[in-house]
Amino acid sequence: MSFLLKNIVNLPRSGSINQLTSSFRCLSLTSQLSTRHNLNYKPPKIIAKPITPIIPQRSPSEDLKACDNIISKVNNVISEKEEGRLFAVIHLCGKQFKVTSGDIILVEGYWPPTIGDEVRLEKVLLVGGNDFTLIGRPIVDKNLVNVQATIIEKTLTHTKTHFKKKRRKQYMRINFQRSPNTMIRINSIDISGQIQANSLEKDDSTKIY
Amino acid sequence: MSNSHLFLKSGFPRAPLQNGVGRYICQLQRITLKFCKNNGSSRGMREFIEKQLIDFAKENPGTVVYVKPRRHRTPVIVAEYLNGDREWHNCRNLSKEEITQWITLMKTQNGSSSSLRLRKMWHTDMPSIQGPWTPFTLKNPASNLVIFPNEELSKPLDVEKSATEKLIELFREQRLSEGKLEENRGN
Repeated sequence: MSFLLKNIVNLPRSGSINQLTSSFRCLSLTSQLSTRHNLNYKPPKIIAKPITPIIPQRSPSEDLKACDNIISKVNNVISEKEEGRLFAVIHLCGKQFKVTSGDIILVEGYWPPTIGDEVRLEKVLLVGGNDFTLIGRPIVDKNLVNVQATIIEKTLTHTKTHFKKKRRKQYMRINFQRSPNTMIRINSIDISGQIQANSLEKDDSTKIY
Repeated sequence: MSNSHLFLKSGFPRAPLQNGVGRYICQLQRITLKFCKNNGSSRGMREFIEKQLIDFAKENPGTVVYVKPRRHRTPVIVAEYLNGDREWHNCRNLSKEEITQWITLMKTQNGSSSSLRLRKMWHTDMPSIQGPWTPFTLKNPASNLVIFPNEELSKPLDVEKSATEKLIELFREQRLSEGKLEENRGN
C-alpha cells in the first residue's frame, strides 16, 4: 500500500491522469502485486509420486519371439495329437453356438438341408483345446479347422398361440403358428495342418464371409 | 401372445439312440394312409396314392407303407416311429401337395414333436473343456500371498482424477513446454 500512496502523492507533481489509473490498476492485478511486492514468494512444492509402468515394455523383436514360441508349442501339441477334446464357436444361421463333438444344436426357421445330410460348418469363430485357443479374425482359416455335422431332424415347433384382444372394442383375433426347426448333430472337430504366424496377416479383404 | 404353452410339457433337445453319431437312421418305421374310394374329402389323398406313393416307398426302403381304404370316412395319416411314438393327422379336403408336405414332415421328424416345448436350443454332454470360469482364473498367482486388509487392493479401481491432480498435470505440461521454448531460444 505504501507504493500506492507514493504514487498518489507524486500525482500532483506529474499532473497526469494516466499515472493515477495505472496506480489503481495495481490493486486488481494480483500477478503484478505478487511480482513487485512479494519477491520472495515461491509456489508450494508439489510432490508427485513417480508413475511406475505396470506393463513391462518389450521390444517388437521380443514380442515376435514370444509369439513364435507360443505358436510352435501349439503346433507341437497338434502334431502329437495331444490337444484332447476340441471345442469351437460356430456361426450358424445368424446365431453362435459353442459346440464340441457329439453336441446337438437347433436351427430355428426355414433352412434347406434335409435329414441325413452331412454338412461342414465353415464359419468357425474360435477353436479351443485343453491348453490353447485359436481365435479367428473374424473366422479361423477354413483350411485349418474342419467341423462336420449331420442333420438328424427337421420338424415343427409346438403350436404357438397368438391371441390379440382390445378391450371394449369388440376386437379379438386368434392365430396359431408352427415354425420349422432343424436339429443338427456335431460329428467332429479337427485341426488339420499347422498354424502359421504369417497366415494371420493374409489379405482377407476380398473374402466373402 | 397367450401363455397357454407354459403348461405344455417342456424338455430339452434330445436325439433317440445317439442318432447321427455314427450314421443317420430314419426314425419313421410305418406310415398308414387311410382313405375313402369315392368320397370327395379323400380326393387329394387318392391322387397322392395314384401318382406319388410308389416313388415315396422306393425312396424310403426303411419305411413300411400301408394303404387302407374304408368307406365314407375322412382320410388320415398315421405315422409310427422307432421310439414308439404314434402321430395321427387328419387330411380331410387336403390337396395332393398339402399331403406331400405333411408326409415329408412325418418322415423327417424323430417322433411326435407337437407336444413338447423346448427350453434350450443346445444340448451337450461336455459343458466345459477348459474348465468353468471362476473369479480366480487367469489371475496373477502373486495375489495368493497378499495379506488382508490391504490398502492398495481396497481402493476402487476407477478413481477419477481430482481437480488438484488435473491442475498439477497442466502445470507440469506448461513447465515442459516453457522449457522447450527456452531451449529453442538458446539454440
